[in-house]
Amino acid sequence: MAAADLALLLAALAMLVLRGAGLLVAGSLRPEHPFIAWATSVSQATLAAFVTLAVFAPAGAVASVPLPARLAGLMAGLGAYALLRGRLLPSLCVGLGALVAVRLALAG
Amino acid sequence: MQPDTPVTTSASFRHGTTEALGAPAIAMGVTFLAFGAAVREAGLPLPWALAASLLVYGMAGQLVLLQFAAPGAPAGGVLPAALGATAANARFLPMAVAIAPWLGARRGRRWLALPFIAITPWAAAMRRLPALPAPARLSWFLGFALASWLAAAGATAAGHLLAPRLGAATRAALLFANPLYFALLMAADLRAVAARRAILAGALAAPAALVLPPAWGLLGAGLLGGTLAFLLGRSKGDEPGNRHGRG
Repeated sequence: MAAADLALLLAALAMLVLRGAGLLVAGSLRPEHPFIAWATSVSQATLAAFVTLAVFAPAGAVASVPLPARLAGLMAGLGAYALLRGRLLPSLCVGLGALVAVRLALAG
Repeated sequence: MQPDTPVTTSASFRHGTTEALGAPAIAMGVTFLAFGAAVREAGLPLPWALAASLLVYGMAGQLVLLQFAAPGAPAGGVLPAALGATAANARFLPMAVAIAPWLGARRGRRWLALPFIAITPWAAAMRRLPALPAPARLSWFLGFALASWLAAAGATAAGHLLAPRLGAATRAALLFANPLYFALLMAADLRAVAARRAILAGALAAPAALVLPPAWGLLGAGLLGGTLAFLLGRSKGDEPGNRHGRG
């Protein structure tokens, strides 16, 4: 088995363990249980940290997009979301459109 | 109960599928498209790309796996790749804990959701499930998650096939769709006090990720911000039902 295939197999098994452990640990707890509330808070905070890092300190290919373009995409998306009363798809398109437009403007 | 609230298992499954095939599928699809293209550039075949998308099913872990497992990768290797991907996706553990009670009272059937617990289905489900009747929740989640999963697979395959036509700038813009989509979901959740506190604390804790080892940074920031937000909420006597947005 090639190294890349073995790494993928091990990672896939680890994902099952992570997800399974969560379902097992939650057991018969109710949504109001403090442990569930803590896990929800950690998950929401992780998601917020993920978005913050993607905008202000991205790794990989996103880092090649200039910060003003990333900020323009985020602000335009959120602005559209507020104006369009929470319609996700058009807001997403507006945000991505703003990112591409600002990037092109900066490059030109 | 709202007029459009699904009450039968098949109706809730269909509702979940329909909801997934809008903004969620597009946001996720373009990210997986970029991933498929990156896998091809790294010299790995389509089956590897599909297996990574469907079995790891968490973009942070997928990217770490690709970075370390690709042939000729600097500092590569089986163990760094597997451990790095696991650490990058360790958020699945608290996410599974948080969503489990919303997947219905029959604990055995919750395991059907196992392969699908990932950010996109989780974030949508945590907003939608509390408003659904308990018997409809698991089937809604499975409908949403299965549609998202298949969309991710299709997009990965498309990215792998289209890689020669996608420039680096296009791939970078596509990868940004995912965080933007999550930012929009969180904007809706800001109306709930506890969710707002967790989101703000997570954003403020994000710099901690920059001083931790890369694979652990995101989880470390989430643990720090989420725990502080939880403790602050307890000290202020939060109502348990005020944890989720309803947007």
